[in-house]
Amino acid sequence: MIINTTILSWVTFIYFGSAIFYIFRMVTGREFWGSFASIIAFTGLIAQTVGLILRWFESYKMGIGHAPLSNLYESLIFFAWTIVLLYLIVEWRIKSRNLGAFVIPFAFLSMAYASFSPNVNSRIQPLIPALQSNWLISHVITCFFGYAAFTIACGLGFMYLLKGLGKDEDSSPFFRLIPGREVLDELTYHSIVIGFIFLTLGIITGSVWAYSAWGSYWSWDPKETWSLITWFIYAAMLHSRFVRGWRGKKMAIMSLIGFASVLFTYFGVNYLPGLHSYF
Amino acid sequence: MKKTLLSFLSSLRLTIALLIIIAVASILGTVIPQQYGGGEAFRHLSPGLVKAFRSLQLFDMYHSVWFIILMGLLSLNLITCSLNRFPTSWKLFRKIPSLNRGKPFENLSPDSVLVIEGKPHEVIGRVENLLKKRYKRVRKKDIANSTVFYGEKGTYSHFGVYVIHLSILIIIAGAIIGSLLGFNAFVNIAEGESTNTVHLGRQKGMKKLDFTVRCDKFSIAFYKNGMPKEYRSNLSFLKDNNVIFQGPLLVNHPITVNDIRFYQASYGTIPGHQVYLTIKKGNDEEIIRKVRLKDSFYLKEKNAKLTILRIEENLMSMGPAVLINIQSPEGTMRFWAFKHIEKIKDRIPGLFKKVPKFNPGLFKPYYFTLNRIENKYYTGLQLSRDPGVSTVAIGSFFIIIGFFITFFSSHKRLWVRVDEQEGKSRISVAATSNKDPVGLKREIEHLLRHFSYMRG
Repeated sequence: MIINTTILSWVTFIYFGSAIFYIFRMVTGREFWGSFASIIAFTGLIAQTVGLILRWFESYKMGIGHAPLSNLYESLIFFAWTIVLLYLIVEWRIKSRNLGAFVIPFAFLSMAYASFSPNVNSRIQPLIPALQSNWLISHVITCFFGYAAFTIACGLGFMYLLKGLGKDEDSSPFFRLIPGREVLDELTYHSIVIGFIFLTLGIITGSVWAYSAWGSYWSWDPKETWSLITWFIYAAMLHSRFVRGWRGKKMAIMSLIGFASVLFTYFGVNYLPGLHSYF
Repeated sequence: MKKTLLSFLSSLRLTIALLIIIAVASILGTVIPQQYGGGEAFRHLSPGLVKAFRSLQLFDMYHSVWFIILMGLLSLNLITCSLNRFPTSWKLFRKIPSLNRGKPFENLSPDSVLVIEGKPHEVIGRVENLLKKRYKRVRKKDIANSTVFYGEKGTYSHFGVYVIHLSILIIIAGAIIGSLLGFNAFVNIAEGESTNTVHLGRQKGMKKLDFTVRCDKFSIAFYKNGMPKEYRSNLSFLKDNNVIFQGPLLVNHPITVNDIRFYQASYGTIPGHQVYLTIKKGNDEEIIRKVRLKDSFYLKEKNAKLTILRIEENLMSMGPAVLINIQSPEGTMRFWAFKHIEKIKDRIPGLFKKVPKFNPGLFKPYYFTLNRIENKYYTGLQLSRDPGVSTVAIGSFFIIIGFFITFFSSHKRLWVRVDEQEGKSRISVAATSNKDPVGLKREIEHLLRHFSYMRG
């Protein structure tokens, strides 16, 4: 096995450990486990960054140098990377570890799918002509930061709905550690705004690329169409919040629906015929 | 009636409904293969269903009348609701609240009050300077024993949403310009050949270009592992037999000639005009000879002239074959030389008796077999002219600007009151914001920190 894939498959376990400790913290209510989880997640992020850079170098050594963003394996790894990076930024900004148990598992799942699914080829492959473009990097980065922000919003939505299950005066640390409804709502909104901007940038960079590769900036390719559907869902969500003042449970449910659409844009579209067949 | 229609058109309910309907329709479009006329779908669907789908234009859904109507409604909704709300935003933008009220300072949290050294009259000037530096439209008024300032920033944040909506309309306008004035077409050109007519995509039919495109060469390069590395067409563009542009066309690197963009879209092979013929004379060694279609060569011993008349890739399902014409003093004869003659012979016993023209040894003592047909590539080019692209690009640029205004700026209004408290100055800060309460809190803290550095 090549060194970068070894590192990256170890990162899978690191994120698993981190997720477990975040959950442990929620159950026991002891911050000690939380700081442990944060340190592990941060270590994982560093290791993963090193792994990605090594992979980049290795591709150059093979004479087919390109950024590690070119197939399903690399995109899954990058997805996990963006989730953890964005999560740690949020953790640092809001000075609270409460979201970890609901977000880091997504990063673990993405890594696990990349590392252990027999359908995902981890080899470094050269770029086919359609992918040989300067727009590859900016398109993939913007899209996946968008996906990661929506993932965090989905985790927050879960938390909100879970909070609804517990009683307000519930004394178990689990429910106590889930932030208040208003905080959750505010965080969900901010995550969705960030995701929405990145998704828009992803669609724009994608159409610029399509304009130089496929002959049209918009071809109603299934992935394009689904990204537009996702955009519509979040646009509807923002409007209902701005104009109708929707908050709380409705937004939590919408953030789950939006995330389902994100997942379909990412994975489901592969089962439909289209131009994005290499992802 | 007119009013209800207008309020329906400008309602958020319509927006949400349209977004959902368009989303669902788009999902349908990703499931039903979108091809001109239906194409492959015939095989999987019953004829009745195909007819129904066709009449609903489901095979070219994104360009169907009803989809365009939906998009039109969405645009109308965007326009009407923006127009509806704009006056309110304009008022908010223009309005300067009265300073004659103590209302902003009611229920002020102790965090927003600061007491500093110095009498108010010593402090006021600095407060005013600081506010003028940081805020717009700063006004001052003395009320009773206190001085009240008003200032604001981020008034433009009311317009972010209009920038976004206008950008979307600009993008839609660009798309309309493109579909009305532009075109999409494709053409396959074999190596060495040229054309000036192309197949239109959606509009169907042909289009004549005012110049000619020639494919000089098509080539593919592969990586070591067999994956394709590069598709390259060397193209020449000619007008009145003069080359106006010449260059390689690669995927991701379109060529623009006379406002028409050319893209490397596909490729394929067709039988070329050249074959390799295996010739065996009696017990001599076989020789392989390259011959072009319609070209001839001489078989000296028999004083015969051999000509290739036809090249068939698959003659009567028996594989590749060439029609050979031999002219000699003994007369003229024509027969086919197959590539897989041995197999054909085994499959059909007595073939040469039934069909003497299939006998490769008809012209004795020679025996001809087709070694191979040399294929040549054709390149598949996509052409497009889209005068709406720059409009769409402008819309895309401004939508991002609009996002930043809408999501990251807010209209903050501040009231600062300075009055005397036990020989010192008391500064109270009250503020409101149209969004972003967290940012507002930070703004107040920031301002108070600045005030606390001032000493009388």
